[in-house]
Amino acid sequence: MAILINKSTRVLIQGITGKEGSRAAGEMLKYGTKVVAGVTPGKGGQKILKIPVYDTVHEAIKKHKNINATLITVPGPFVRDAALEAIHAGIPLINILTENVTTQDSAIIVQAARDKNIRIVGPSSVGIMSPGEAKIGSIGSSDMQKIFTRGVVGVISKSGGMSAEISVILSRAGIGQSTVVGIGGDQIIGSDFKDLLELFQKDKRTKAVVIFGEIGGTYEEEAADFIKKSGFTKPVVAVIAGKFSETLDEGSTLGHAGAIVSKGRGSYTSKVNTLRRAGVYVARTLEDIVPALKHGMSKDIARKIFKK
Amino acid sequence: MRLTEFEGKELFNKYSIPIPKGILINNSSDKITLSAPFVLKAQVLSGDRKYAGGIIFVNTKRAAKSALKKLFHLKIKGEVVKRVLAEEKLNTSKEFYVSFSYDTSTKMPVLALSTAGGTGAKKAKIFPIDIVKGLPQFVIRGYLKDAKFKSEDISKLAGIISNLWHLFIKEYALLAEINPLIKTKEGEFIAGDSKIIIDDAKVRAGERRLIDLGGDIAILASGGGASMLNIDALASYGGRPANYTEYSGNPPANVVRDLTYKVLSRRGLKGCWVVGGTANFTDIYETIKGFAEGLKMLKPKPKYPIVIRRDGPRQKEAKKMILKLAEREGYQIYFFDSETPMAETAKLIVKLAYGNSNK
Repeated sequence: MAILINKSTRVLIQGITGKEGSRAAGEMLKYGTKVVAGVTPGKGGQKILKIPVYDTVHEAIKKHKNINATLITVPGPFVRDAALEAIHAGIPLINILTENVTTQDSAIIVQAARDKNIRIVGPSSVGIMSPGEAKIGSIGSSDMQKIFTRGVVGVISKSGGMSAEISVILSRAGIGQSTVVGIGGDQIIGSDFKDLLELFQKDKRTKAVVIFGEIGGTYEEEAADFIKKSGFTKPVVAVIAGKFSETLDEGSTLGHAGAIVSKGRGSYTSKVNTLRRAGVYVARTLEDIVPALKHGMSKDIARKIFKK
Repeated sequence: MRLTEFEGKELFNKYSIPIPKGILINNSSDKITLSAPFVLKAQVLSGDRKYAGGIIFVNTKRAAKSALKKLFHLKIKGEVVKRVLAEEKLNTSKEFYVSFSYDTSTKMPVLALSTAGGTGAKKAKIFPIDIVKGLPQFVIRGYLKDAKFKSEDISKLAGIISNLWHLFIKEYALLAEINPLIKTKEGEFIAGDSKIIIDDAKVRAGERRLIDLGGDIAILASGGGASMLNIDALASYGGRPANYTEYSGNPPANVVRDLTYKVLSRRGLKGCWVVGGTANFTDIYETIKGFAEGLKMLKPKPKYPIVIRRDGPRQKEAKKMILKLAEREGYQIYFFDSETPMAETAKLIVKLAYGNSNK
């Protein structure tokens, strides 16, 4: 088992004839993901890597009734429309790779998806990886076998780069991953930490979760509230980036659109303290994650996590 | 992108939100063609301008002249005053607070309302808005009632708030705030100040951020997450970061070249740290090539240590190329891949940059 995607995932790629779309398609096929169709308006009838291209999502799902996920790779200004098209077609999982989607468009997509009970991951998501089963998006293009190994630790990261880096560190220590999700660092995202913690709680394979958060917004604080209130039973290790920002002016934006320097809630201190109060181990560096997983868990769980 | 008060008020005017009669002054010798008394306001982005003396009330044109001189010599939080907004003073009877922004916990736009302007914003009532359905005026009137606004004010205010909502949506604002929204003794509603932030994804997508941090170890980080995490690591080992910047999303060599040149042109540097995680799809050779080109543009030639820690597509080719260049040009370059933790290379650059004694 894994969360979000597995062997039975059948993927559509919106924007498949573009640079990002075709690259992602090639990598996904290479990893064994079933990419069954693509959509680019005006390019219906063509084929990319033997994958049929359609003009509309409606046509694609009519021909391929088993499509149950879509990857959106169209340029920023077209993301809203592409997502609304997928929502209208009722595709239950929409992963948005594109960066620079406006907050307003994200809010509209999230609201429309909420009304139809559809899950969004992204925008600015590097992708989703369930090692040994399937991957969606650009996650881990290079050396996928070295970076990701199948196992029992879930990873949720605002940063695409850090989702791969954390996975490498875990894999090297003999710790495999159940599913690695790049949720994106925008101010408004479809699935945040708590949404995915909920799925990891239900997932039988997952025994522990690592989260990578950043200053700005409230998703880390909400994850802490969720862990405390829902009685989340699996150990969680967190890394929070942006401590240095405490000396900067309020309102500045750092690496990601959602990483806005703030003083109270949203600040580094607020996130770290709230997570600690919820029983989360906050690691100072990525290298502290493995020892934290080792010590933070009962022997029984530790045995399941470590393969070596 | 944050707008100044004046730019924000121009937008208010465009969306039929009443603003005071005023003119923008670019020079202390400019004539003020308004009738006294009026208020002079420095057009800077800092929210602390009031306490920094950036707002002056004057009763006569003569007083205005010396006040203007004072304002044009002012520096507020490092920002030089280049423009002053002169406005006729209003007969205020009451001040309110109104704003639209996005809330990350509901993931919805929210309307904030308070019957007290200024610091009353802290006590504002918050109303999430279904952005797909929109915001009709009858809904706004209901919210105004909930927030304890008086019956006599509700109709006019709903009109202004509706206009502000249109501005918020059509201009892709992240924040559209009127504080204070003034009710005059004559019963008119006028925007006393404006605070507007426009979504960078709309106006300057892909722009590279560069923030001066005042230290002496230059950093070129790849990726939003890595950039923040690594500055934290550097600081924890006693390193003084010179700058914050990041490049991500597989940039072409020339983008990295220009950024490298900009970051390393700073004087007094003791080291340079090029750092990133294991890239998902960024072409490492391409970015390191950009770094090398930037390095070659610098005069004098950097003598300080350069530590590179990077992995991902075409990493081996990148390493070979940059080490060869280092040998030829005499640069002091150390290259590491993902076998070496990022934090480990933070420790190393601090040690190399400061030596054992000269910290």
